[in-house]
Amino acid sequence: MHKIGIIFRREYLSRIRNKSFIVMTLIGPFLLALFYGGMIWVGTEAVNSTEDGGPKKVTITGQYPGLTSVGPSESFAFQNTSNDLESTKALLNEGSIDVILDIRDLGQGSLDSVTAYSTQSLSLRQERELRSHLELQLHRDQLQSMGLDPLALDSLRQGVELHCQTLSDTGDAQNSATTLKSGVGFVMAFLIYLFIFLYGSMVMRGALEEKTNRIVEVIISSVRPFELMMGKILGVAAVGLTQFLVWIAMGAGLITGLSRFFGPQIQQGLENTQSMQGAGSQALQTSISLWDQFHSLPFGKIIFVFVLFFLGGYLLYSSLFAAIGAAASQDTDVQSFMLPVSLPLVFGLLIAQASVIQAPHGSLATWFSYIPLTSPIVMVVRSPFDVSWLEIAGSAILLYSTFIAMVYLAAKIYRIGLLKYGKKPTWKDLYLWIRQSN
Amino acid sequence: MTILELDSVSKTYGSQVVSKEISMRIEPGTIHGLLGPNGAGKTTLLRMMATITKPDSGHIRFLGEPLLDIHAHQMGYMPEERGLYKRMSVVDQLLFFAEIRGLSRSEAQGEIRQWMQRLQMTDWINPSSTQGAKNRVKQSKKLEELSKGMAQKLQFLCTIIHKPKLLILDEPFSGFDPVNADLIRDIILDLKNQGTAVVFSTHRMDNIESLCDDITLINQGAPLFQGKTMEVRRSQFAGHYDLAIAEDQEEPEAPQRWLQHSQLVKAFKNPEGNWVHRFQCDAEFSSQHLLKLGSEAGRIVHFAEHIPSIHDIFVQSVQSQNHA
Repeated sequence: MHKIGIIFRREYLSRIRNKSFIVMTLIGPFLLALFYGGMIWVGTEAVNSTEDGGPKKVTITGQYPGLTSVGPSESFAFQNTSNDLESTKALLNEGSIDVILDIRDLGQGSLDSVTAYSTQSLSLRQERELRSHLELQLHRDQLQSMGLDPLALDSLRQGVELHCQTLSDTGDAQNSATTLKSGVGFVMAFLIYLFIFLYGSMVMRGALEEKTNRIVEVIISSVRPFELMMGKILGVAAVGLTQFLVWIAMGAGLITGLSRFFGPQIQQGLENTQSMQGAGSQALQTSISLWDQFHSLPFGKIIFVFVLFFLGGYLLYSSLFAAIGAAASQDTDVQSFMLPVSLPLVFGLLIAQASVIQAPHGSLATWFSYIPLTSPIVMVVRSPFDVSWLEIAGSAILLYSTFIAMVYLAAKIYRIGLLKYGKKPTWKDLYLWIRQSN
Repeated sequence: MTILELDSVSKTYGSQVVSKEISMRIEPGTIHGLLGPNGAGKTTLLRMMATITKPDSGHIRFLGEPLLDIHAHQMGYMPEERGLYKRMSVVDQLLFFAEIRGLSRSEAQGEIRQWMQRLQMTDWINPSSTQGAKNRVKQSKKLEELSKGMAQKLQFLCTIIHKPKLLILDEPFSGFDPVNADLIRDIILDLKNQGTAVVFSTHRMDNIESLCDDITLINQGAPLFQGKTMEVRRSQFAGHYDLAIAEDQEEPEAPQRWLQHSQLVKAFKNPEGNWVHRFQCDAEFSSQHLLKLGSEAGRIVHFAEHIPSIHDIFVQSVQSQNHA
C-alpha cells in the first residue's frame, strides 16, 4: 500500500502541477457550456431556420372540388393558375416559380393524388410542411361543407397545463420535473462518458509512455506491476476528482451568485404574477416553475450516484485502458484494442438516449443499469428518477466487484506486457499473458 | 554471508530456454561480471536477480532467504535500456526512486544533497533560484533540460541513492563517454570497497579484467566458465609462451628463422611494434628449452607465458560452442 501511495502521489502531483491541467480546469466548464450551448443553438436554429430567399412560390394546377383554396403558409406562397401542367412546367424551368402543386381528383373521395414538381429537391421539412398545410386546408373545407365554422371550433380548444407530482412514502408531493431530470441525467451521463475516455486514456498514455521511455523496468524492479497500475489509476482518479471538486465549487459559487442576484427578482415576479394573472406573465411563470423544479431535484442523491458510478466506471475502464497501454509498444498499437473496449460505453450512451429518457423504469433501462460495463452511464441517467437505494447499491456492488476481477486480469496483462517490445500483440497474446504465471 | 545465491536456475519463454541450470554466488564486497554474446540470456538472468521475473525452476536466495519482492529494497537495478521521467525535475526523480526503494523523504533528501555535491551536480540546480539550500534542491532542472551524459549520470545515481546491498547493472558502461565511464567505474569500486556486492553484464572486456573479482560466461542460456577472473584465465592456459629477441625487430617481415619451427603457434607484432613469436611448450619442448633457444638466437627482450585474456576465452569458447 505504501508504494501505491508513492506512485499515486507522483501521478497526482505531476499532473495537477501541469500548466495544461490548470488551464483546462479553469476553462473546462466554459468550454463544456459552450459545447452544450452550441448543441442547443444548432438544434434551435435547425428548427427555426428557413430556406434562403423567403417563401417558395407555389403554383397550383389541376383541381379537386373538396379543396376550395390554399391559404399562405410560413414557407410557401400559393397561387392558382388556369394554365395546364405542361405550360406551367415551362414557368418552373424559367425560374419564375419554385414549385408546381398538381392536384388531381381521382374520384376516390380523398386528396390522394398530389404531385409536387420542383427544379431543386424539397427538404424533408418542406415536404412535411406542404403535406400538413394541405391536410389542414382540406380539413377546414370539409368542416365548412358540413356547416361548421372552423375558427369557432379552434376557439373551443383549451390548452392544458399538466403539473406532474410524485408522492413519496411519507405522502409528500414533489414536482416530477421529468424534462429537467432527463436533461440533468443525460448531461451527467455524457460527462461520465467523456471523462472515462479522458482520464482512461490518461492512464493508458501514462503506461505507454513509461514503457516507451523504458523507465518501467527500473520501476518494476522495486514496485510490483499491480502496485504501479493501481497507483497510476488512483492518482489519475484523484486528478479527476480534484477537477470535479473545483468545478462543483465554481458551479456552487455561480448558483449562489445567481440566487443572490436573481432570487429577489424572482420573488418579486412571483408576487406580481399572483396579482396580475395577465398577459406576459407566462414566460415568467415558466422560469419560476423551472427554478422550482431545479430546487426540487434530489441533488444529494444525484451527486452521490454520479461520484459513485463515475469512480466505479472509471476504475473498471481505466484498468482495461492500463492493460492496453502496457501491451502496446507504440501509439498505433492501441487502436485495435480501443474499439472493443470502448464499445460498451458507447452502447450505454445509446441506451440512455433511446430507452432511459423514454422509460426510466422500463426493463431495458433497468437491466442495463445493472450490467457493469453500461451501468456507469445508464444508472446515472436513471438516478434523478427516484431509483431506489437498493437498486443503486446492487448495481454499485456489481460494478465494483467486476472492477476487482478486471484489475486482476488487467494486472496480469500489465505485468507481462510492460517488458514486451517490438511485435504488436494480438488478442491471443493477451490471453496467453493472462494464463502465464510469471 | 553470501548476498545472492542462484541454485540451478532455469527460465523458459515459450519453447525457448533462456536460462539453463545456472548457479552463481555473489559475495559482499565483490564485483561479478556476467559475460555472453547477444541473446545469451544475460538480461533474463539479471531480471530474475532483480525480482522482475521469477525462475521456472531452481532457487534464488538473498542473504540466505528465498528471494522475494521485499528484498528489492536492498537492491539497485539499472537496465540496459534506460529511461527517466522527462518532465520531472532531477531532485523529484531522485526522491521518487529513493522512496520506492524504501528511503524516507528526509533520508532521501540528505543522500541527494551528498551525492549531488560528490558528483558535481550542484550546477544542475536552477541558477535563477536565490533561496535557501533546501528550496534550491527543489528547484532543480528537469530531465529534458539535461544533456545525454548528465541524464546517464542521473540514472546511475537513481540506482544507488538508497545504498543497496546488491547492485545489478545491465551494460552499465554502454552509452557513457570515457570521462563519465571512468566516473561510474570509480563509484562502483568505492561501493565495492564499502561492502556492496555488484553484478554487471558487459561487452567491454577491459572492464571485466580490471574490475571483476569473479566472472560467469554464459552462452545459449547455460554457463560456459565460472570462477575468479584470474583462475578462469589460468584454467585456459594452453602452454603457450611468447618470445621476442632484439635481432628480429629490424626485419620488415616475420623472421624466417622461426617460421619452420614445429612448435611455433604464431608470429605477430605486439602493440609496441615488436615481433613476438608464440610457441607451444610441453614435456618434450619445455619453456626452459625455448628460453635457451632464444638466448642462442640473440638478446631476449620479452619472454612470458601467454595466459589468454577474457576476450580470447570469450570469443574462442562462444565460437567453438556455436559451431559445435
